[in-house]
Amino acid sequence: MTRLVKELSRLPGIGEKTASRLAFNLLNRPREEVIALAEALLEMKERVGLCSECFGLSDSPRCHICSDEAREHDSICVVEGPADLMAIERARSFNGVYHVLHGALAPLDGIGPDDIKIKELLARVSGPHGVREVIIATNATVEGEATALYIASALKPAGVKATRLARGLPAGGDLEYSDAATLASALSGRREL
Amino acid sequence: MPAEEASAAIVLRARDYSESDRIVTLLTRDFGKLGGIAKGAKASRRRFERKLEPFSHAMLYFRRRPHGQLVFITRAEAAAELRPFNIDDDLAKIALGSYMLELADAMTSEGAEAEGAYRVLSEALGTISDAGASPALRQSFELKFLRWAGFGLEFARCRQCAAPPSEETAAYFVVSRGGIVCARCRPSVPEGALRMEGASVVALARLGEADLAEASSTGPAGADAALAISRFLSSVLDRKLRSTAFLDSVMAGNPRA
Ligand SMILES: [Zn+2]
Ligand SMILES: [Zn+2]
Repeated sequence: MTRLVKELSRLPGIGEKTASRLAFNLLNRPREEVIALAEALLEMKERVGLCSECFGLSDSPRCHICSDEAREHDSICVVEGPADLMAIERARSFNGVYHVLHGALAPLDGIGPDDIKIKELLARVSGPHGVREVIIATNATVEGEATALYIASALKPAGVKATRLARGLPAGGDLEYSDAATLASALSGRREL
Repeated sequence: MPAEEASAAIVLRARDYSESDRIVTLLTRDFGKLGGIAKGAKASRRRFERKLEPFSHAMLYFRRRPHGQLVFITRAEAAAELRPFNIDDDLAKIALGSYMLELADAMTSEGAEAEGAYRVLSEALGTISDAGASPALRQSFELKFLRWAGFGLEFARCRQCAAPPSEETAAYFVVSRGGIVCARCRPSVPEGALRMEGASVVALARLGEADLAEASSTGPAGADAALAISRFLSSVLDRKLRSTAFLDSVMAGNPRA
């Protein structure tokens, strides 16, 4: 029980109290349900990997967005995590492709450019397929701004246009919690960095 | 219930906790460093006005809890006399500002009076907001913060014979003495020492005295001076600062800084 509580409280947004509540709930469930949950977890981990192009979650080597020829492959939207990608997809106002950084620059936590997928982004941009615009949709936090500024300055030599979502996003707000209308207007009001 | 207390404060660190709470480390003007928890911070934008982010400068209201637990933060509000810091529009500003927050965190301890530290940090973040980041501002901040913490480094005279340094002659920085010794005294001082150019010593003496805004408009002392300060800092800190690597790489790649 202690071990389960410890493992659950590693999850984001779950404190020790919530973890104990979940653990007790699981304890009281029928055995089959608990087995089904455990199997779903394992299957997810084994089947879902990262897209080799955008690093979004995918159960094939190249995700459905990157393999969609109808999308504009010369417009890349850069986000911190897979949940942000899903939020923008839900808003249905972006028809390009993505790049998932899996984090943000966080000097106070010692997270630097080499700890997130920035090199991979620069490689994509300087690759054989021309890129017209990189839209930086990192969160409106200090970490998100630092990441945006870093990427914009790293893109300068490549001569690629870098834009930032409009400040419609609440400062300190996580993109994944923004509603579709806010995201759509932030996208259409983006400014050049 | 304990009474509500209030102080001007700068947020040094912040992180989400559970579904809706936020845990912050504050450098308060009146009560030193405090760890606090803001219940429901993510839902109640009204009570906290998004002032629970690193670099936020605000009036913080809180209630203490027994046994040194995190204080309960009840409200956070802007106040006319507390200037907001404008850090996040420039990478060098974020890098130097983060380093300042981390150094302030590392050199203060909870419960100990730290009004001087709050003043130095607040002036330094204000200067970055107005004038941008620069190596001279970093060095001046380090010297001032060390002095507040009781480690006043001496660059204006020899620790042994009190002779003032000169631009032309090298001097020797001795970590265990917290200052320089002159070339003539060096043979009689047994400790290891770092050789510094005269110009760097003179520049550090000046940066230690100048106010932060003035310091930021002048040139920094040389790399030997930066090394002397960083050696001293690592001798008094019990951990390596995480923000240093990023700051050094940003400063190195930024010709303006
Ligand atoms: Zn993909
Ligand atoms: Zn001497």
